[in-house]
Amino acid sequence: MSYYDIDSILTDAEKIPCTFQLDIPDLGYLDNTPTQPLKAGTKVNLPLWLAEMLAIANASDTEGKPFVTFDLPPALGNDVVQALKADPRAVPLRDQSAHFYGLATQMMELSEEQELAAILRKTFVIRASEVALYARKVGGVGHKGKGGADEGSNLGVGGAGEDFLRALDEWERSLFRKAHDGTKSGKEWMEGIKKH
Amino acid sequence: MPMYGDLGNKLVQHAKRTQNLAHLPPYQTELVRAVTREVRDLDKDVASLLEPFQGSFDPSADQPTACTLLVNHLSIRRNKRCLLAYHRTRTDKLEELVWNGSDVLDLAGQQAGGANGASAADGGASSSLSPQEEDYVRQYGDLLAAYKGQWTDIDLTGSLEPPRDLFIDVRVLKDAGEIQTEYGAINLTKNSQFYVRQGDVERLIAQGYLQKLG
Amino acid sequence: MDIDDILREVDPIFHDIPQEQRDLQELTRAWVAERSAPELLPWPANGLFERINANIKTQIEKVEELTGDMDPKTNFALIVIQTELERYRYLVRSYLRARLAKIDRHALHYLSTDALRARLSDAELAYATRHQALLHNHYLSSFLSSFPANLQNLNDSAAGISMIETPDLESAVFIRLLKDTPVEGRGVDADGAMDGRESDIVILRWSDAKPLVEAGSAELV
Repeated sequence: MSYYDIDSILTDAEKIPCTFQLDIPDLGYLDNTPTQPLKAGTKVNLPLWLAEMLAIANASDTEGKPFVTFDLPPALGNDVVQALKADPRAVPLRDQSAHFYGLATQMMELSEEQELAAILRKTFVIRASEVALYARKVGGVGHKGKGGADEGSNLGVGGAGEDFLRALDEWERSLFRKAHDGTKSGKEWMEGIKKH
Repeated sequence: MPMYGDLGNKLVQHAKRTQNLAHLPPYQTELVRAVTREVRDLDKDVASLLEPFQGSFDPSADQPTACTLLVNHLSIRRNKRCLLAYHRTRTDKLEELVWNGSDVLDLAGQQAGGANGASAADGGASSSLSPQEEDYVRQYGDLLAAYKGQWTDIDLTGSLEPPRDLFIDVRVLKDAGEIQTEYGAINLTKNSQFYVRQGDVERLIAQGYLQKLG
Repeated sequence: MDIDDILREVDPIFHDIPQEQRDLQELTRAWVAERSAPELLPWPANGLFERINANIKTQIEKVEELTGDMDPKTNFALIVIQTELERYRYLVRSYLRARLAKIDRHALHYLSTDALRARLSDAELAYATRHQALLHNHYLSSFLSSFPANLQNLNDSAAGISMIETPDLESAVFIRLLKDTPVEGRGVDADGAMDGRESDIVILRWSDAKPLVEAGSAELV
């Protein structure tokens, strides 16, 4: 979690379903009714940067109750979790959230969903090795030297691979880039050795 | 209805795109102004919410007001973070250009002019940098020059590739005039080829004057 | 086995190795370590870089002397000196740039305490201080000055996130053991411990490796 990091700022903009626990006269605008008070029980989708603090603000106070309670966002809903259980590689994570893991990590910090945490961890491990596999393929064959059209492209991966790579979340994309660059420079280094 | 923080988010999305671009897109003057205004408005709201309490506000006695204050406070913090991250992404990019030896100020003017040819007619080509960014580029350039000055024999902005071939073949892509090397002057005219010391021409390769041959 | 190992056996105090060669070794070690460690390492305080600078100057003069108006392509000795010079320059440049990248990333952190500031060279300290001032001024003139005064800081930690970013001391590094020593590492699920032997290569968290490196029991690779 770093203050200036663009991806963590964008992760914090991901919205989660919240329910207000008390009437609040001045916050009607959050529910598109700026002239009305916000009623207890109103459900509003709030960005993480707001939801998180509203959910924990009063929690340490024994008398007070939290301003809002929250549910898991659809990206971590039952349909997605069942699909991840079946085959993590087949789920287009990016369609759920461009910052899927960032969102998931923050939600896991807020709630104690042990089973979900275990599924997400398995998802991460399986998909990460798949990402590394494609990165090696692309980094290995896609390099045709100066100005070659293949440089850094996904050509040679095949249709299923294209779909998988398109649907990577931001964290997986950065992993892919690192693994790809690593393979590429490793290959260039080997070629350099051969030349000399 | 737009929420507090939405405009700040737009700025950060601009920053995200900027990270993946080779050039620097135009500074979002209006958006920066709007987010800053939002911060001032939120701060005024906080002051007027607290005003009736005369400095003795007890959050547990008035939960709805406490919640509103918290929302305002968090929105201010969020906007500040978005503004800082947006500006920081751009100064990172500007510093990178200064390190690469590009004439950033000249380049920015050309880009803005090229992207929108009509703008030259009505009042001259505008830069993709804000005036504050132009100042920053000058000041950072001076700072870097001062630091580099302690290492004149190293060429601190030189290549970070480990040296391999001391001499390389290059082709001249555009006229670059005469350069001084330790072996005398070489006149770089378009389409001519030379066998030169890599260290002497790295800059010219990076700037697109020369092409390294295979 | 190379010449250094032989000399080490014959003369453990290294008296026979010329200063220049020892400096080059030290520079190479510092360069490898700086590029591997996730945080800034202390600037060598023993005058290493003054000597290296002087040495590079001497070599440049030598090159100029040798050059005359000879054809460089045929002058083998010249090319050898030039190659060595380029390598020297590359090491220093790469080392300084690796440090500057870390300093730029976490400037407020390295400026925050005397102990951390002491890791920077005088020139780096001047650069970091001025760079930070330029950034703060840039933010102020772009938007920050119209914020309420209590919100103009760049170093508080509101809403759970510190504005002062710090290096990740838990990231993984490779180390080579310089003597037999027990090695302990913390993991996500379980901690690990082993009896390390000299010249073993181990991968572990920097926070676990750091004490070994500082004690001279291991070096970064």
